[in-house]
Amino acid sequence: ALLPYVPRVPPVALPGKLTATTFALERPCCVFDRHAAASDTVWLVVAFANGEARGHAPWGWGRGDPRHGRSARCVPAASAAFRNPPSRASVPRYAQLPTARSYMIPEATAATSACSSPHAAVLRVGGDTACGDRGGQDPCNGPLPSPGPYRVKFLVMGCQGPKAETRWSDPILLRTGR
Amino acid sequence: MAKSDDGMRILQGLLVFGNVIIGMCGIALTAECIFFVSDPHGLYPLLEATGNNDIYAAAWIGIFVGFALFALSILGIIAVIKSSRTLLLVYIILMLITYAFEMASCITAATHRDFLTPNLFLKQMLEQYHKPETDNNKDKWMSEGVTKTWDKLMLQNKCCGVQGPSDWQDYTSAFRVTHNDADFPWPRNCCVLDTQGSPVNLDGCKLGVPGYYNSNGCYDAISGPMNTHAWGVAWFGFAILCWTFCVLLGTMFYWSRIGY
Repeated sequence: ALLPYVPRVPPVALPGKLTATTFALERPCCVFDRHAAASDTVWLVVAFANGEARGHAPWGWGRGDPRHGRSARCVPAASAAFRNPPSRASVPRYAQLPTARSYMIPEATAATSACSSPHAAVLRVGGDTACGDRGGQDPCNGPLPSPGPYRVKFLVMGCQGPKAETRWSDPILLRTGR
Repeated sequence: MAKSDDGMRILQGLLVFGNVIIGMCGIALTAECIFFVSDPHGLYPLLEATGNNDIYAAAWIGIFVGFALFALSILGIIAVIKSSRTLLLVYIILMLITYAFEMASCITAATHRDFLTPNLFLKQMLEQYHKPETDNNKDKWMSEGVTKTWDKLMLQNKCCGVQGPSDWQDYTSAFRVTHNDADFPWPRNCCVLDTQGSPVNLDGCKLGVPGYYNSNGCYDAISGPMNTHAWGVAWFGFAILCWTFCVLLGTMFYWSRIGY
């Protein structure tokens, strides 16, 4: 199921919401309540956004994000070419970001994204500096290697595979120092 | 004759009074300059690392000039009371030399103050704070001085960077070489620390949540004391010089009017 929620960087003035290797996102509250069971996990998909493609990008599951028009002439955006993984085992890892140009971070269980849970309102992408050291086998939240721009979306995975997803965010460009 | 005698008596009285004031101002100048040289705010390493610590040189000269003024004022009082031409001549010559030194000190303090801009300290902070490897011992000691001073500054004044924490994000720095951006968007001392010295809320500090990090820049904490120092030496010095000029003129007039 495609949910109309669009992930975004919090509009509050926080000096650390965009740094050179991390960025912050508002946590979606109550967005997945009707579509996910409490035991499903919510993942965050992070993909490179440059090279906007105009073309079909059919998803494997769910209705997807139709971009009708001419077929792609330039390099397809990783966010346009992203296919939802069929199961938890085939989730792209942080270490694959340079080649696959996208990866997924385990965010939370659907239970903690419910309205009543007193969770922090902001999620920091790139905060786990030990990611990448562990052999890249487990999905984790490592610092981003380049300024991007990136697009993100949330994906709810159940036991049988993806159950629901949000829209892709606007491109997020990280800071570079002078 | 009587009138001219009275006139001379009045002039003598004025000159003694003038010298008493010079003596007291000399002591005050020495005390003020000793205070500045003792560096109560601990900012000297920053100034030294800029390669231009002339306001400190001006303060050192001020110490000796103040003492010289005190000694010369005593000589002046004795010379005026005894009406001795030789003593007065010695007094005038030595006072002119002291005058020249004090003038140099004041002008140095006044002009070098303009050198101390936010960009100067920003550049120095970005280049020297936590500089990883250094070419020689002098560089190492200088960057250690800058690092310690900044750590103390940020801790005591609850501030971060020169203009704010975004200095660490907007510019590349030596700090960034050894401290990765995800763990240290800005140095730990920019976080609000508890009594043990660890951050109250590290994640809040990394994000920049108000209340868990220092959002002010440290430039005011640096420039405030340095301005007081520079203006204190310069303007008090100029005031003493104005007064001394008048007393010197009076002394030269008195010298020309008395016989051997």
